[in-house]
Amino acid sequence: MAKRIVLDLDLCCGCRSCEAACKAAHKGEACIRHGDIVGEAYLPLACKHCKDPLCLAACPVDAIKRDEETGLVIRSSLICIGCKSCAYACPFGVIDAPLIRHVSQKCNLCNDREDGPRCVAACSSGALQFLRDEDIEKHEIGRRMVSKNAFFRRNV
Amino acid sequence: MKKVDPTFTTVKKTVCPFCSFGCDLGVVFNDFGIKGVEYIKEGSSKGRLCPRGSAAALYLNHSKRLSMPMKDGKVLEWSKLTKDLKKILDNPKNVAVTFDRNLTIEEYESIISFCDKTGIKNIASTYFEPERFLKKFLNKPFSLDEIENAKMIIVLGDLFNQAPIISKALINWKLRDRENRLVVIDTINSHTAGFASDFLKCKVGTEPFLLFSLAQENIGNIDIPAITGIPGSKITEISKSYKQAKNGLILVSLPFAHTYDPLLLTQGLAKLNTFSGKKVVPLVEFAGFEGNQYFGSIVNLVKKKKIKHLINFGELFPFYYPQVLKNLKALNIYSTSTIKYNECTTIPAALNLEKEGTILTNFGKKRLGGNIKSSSGAKTISEILSLLQEVSGKVKRLNVPEFKIDINERVKKLVEKCASPKKKKVFKLIGEKIAYNFLGFFEQEILKLNPHDAKKLGIKQNDIISIKSKHGSVDLAAKLTKDVENGIVSIPAETPEVKGLFDFEIDNNIVNFIPTEVEIWRKG
Repeated sequence: MAKRIVLDLDLCCGCRSCEAACKAAHKGEACIRHGDIVGEAYLPLACKHCKDPLCLAACPVDAIKRDEETGLVIRSSLICIGCKSCAYACPFGVIDAPLIRHVSQKCNLCNDREDGPRCVAACSSGALQFLRDEDIEKHEIGRRMVSKNAFFRRNV
Repeated sequence: MKKVDPTFTTVKKTVCPFCSFGCDLGVVFNDFGIKGVEYIKEGSSKGRLCPRGSAAALYLNHSKRLSMPMKDGKVLEWSKLTKDLKKILDNPKNVAVTFDRNLTIEEYESIISFCDKTGIKNIASTYFEPERFLKKFLNKPFSLDEIENAKMIIVLGDLFNQAPIISKALINWKLRDRENRLVVIDTINSHTAGFASDFLKCKVGTEPFLLFSLAQENIGNIDIPAITGIPGSKITEISKSYKQAKNGLILVSLPFAHTYDPLLLTQGLAKLNTFSGKKVVPLVEFAGFEGNQYFGSIVNLVKKKKIKHLINFGELFPFYYPQVLKNLKALNIYSTSTIKYNECTTIPAALNLEKEGTILTNFGKKRLGGNIKSSSGAKTISEILSLLQEVSGKVKRLNVPEFKIDINERVKKLVEKCASPKKKKVFKLIGEKIAYNFLGFFEQEILKLNPHDAKKLGIKQNDIISIKSKHGSVDLAAKLTKDVENGIVSIPAETPEVKGLFDFEIDNNIVNFIPTEVEIWRKG
């Protein structure tokens, strides 16, 4: 059953706990990062685990695979040659990390951890959630307007 | 030969060492060493950790970690260090002992016992402001459930950056019932303010006036709305609602150099506490212990050349401030530390993660269960003390003398201090707490500046600018935002360079960093 990391922009308080947790778990390089969007928004960005991933299509050595059952798009560090083709192909710019040990850095939804991604566990405001595809619609994500100047709307 | 199992992991439950919350966490090991932290849902912070907590395991083997005693940037042998320390202890009158965070209760007791046996009389905690005065509100343990039960919460400062672990409880509380009312008092627009039902954006340093007004306390002939920038009708309405609210809380998380008079601020909090009957919860970095005098007395004794040596236990943050260090020039400082620092002789100390013992936290007393053997070569305080003197036996807790203040006199002085700078190109610099700004983990030094002020100075977004106070200058990137008002600039005060910009006052022997007048200009 495919599960995804979902960000509720209304709740994000910008503490970067998610990034710290990811960084700590991935040898000092975070796969989730806070990006500045046209000087206005400042959001946690992570791999979307696309259904038809461009990074997978761009990889010249087939180091990236998609698990049809879980929806997980995963990169094998044994096969990766560090050419950054995936980083250039990704439309969301979430694989643009500097190469660590000559391989690209990509979110694997912490598939070594039973309770799901560490960024979600660390999220101090509950803005990051790990939900099944069919449950996403049920959540009132970003519709509550709980914050007058939530993180992404702060300077708009 | 031992078989390495890559799937094997073990978790040691302990307590985060980085602030007074003491959140429960697990350190995860496998056959290759420390793997990371685990989030403990049944813990006092309900499984949440701030960025520092999430990165706590990285700290254990961090490249900045101190592994050997060091003097003037050079390694010092433990035997030489012991010899030097024993020599200065021959004349204990010349020696002062101070302590900071990252100590257990047992370690505190052994330090006091050590002072008793060696004859050291000058002992002080390095509480700086506003933490020292807020300590009186720490007498009752705090629980996140108290937020759940409240109907109205007043937050002083930026809670989400100071204590992000509270954010979920507070947001859930606000979502659960639209009647729940969150009032935020701050000088700048913060993340917490974004979630507020009422945001009282007051002028720099005027928070004490607001607190007295909310407590309906008469503090003389002061035009509160004019001085704070908050309409009187709003203050009266909030005051009435807070008094009538069934349950309420005041959460205090004032960042560095935000207030001129923390003593008056504490009085305001005490008055509001009495007026409303609702609890004050200070979210401080250090829920520590007392010496027999204040740190300011030590500084005075150094000026009078009555103290030549100082031994500090715990972290060495007090000696992180260049402007404070200037006053301690004549002093030979030895300090235990977890990180490398060249301004004094440093002794590698174990982190609380690596210890067993009891600590004081906002959530009450907690037992450390880590006992992770330090790979850095650091020793525990008890091990360091045992190199110098045998310490044992029960000791009495020390206490500093309390003092009375003249509120009216202080109010008058504060009115003068809160006035805008007289020179046109001078700005008021205030400090900010940024949750993720530590150990260079996320490098992002910025100065927040109002776009209107920036336009006047010809500064654009992300321009490199210089900021200069009478203590020094720093170059960093400009962030233009309406979060700060005209005439105010704010900066995350985390590094020694940035902290070094701020003025400080010694008030009743307690060191207080205050909003500081600075000049700024575009570089190049």
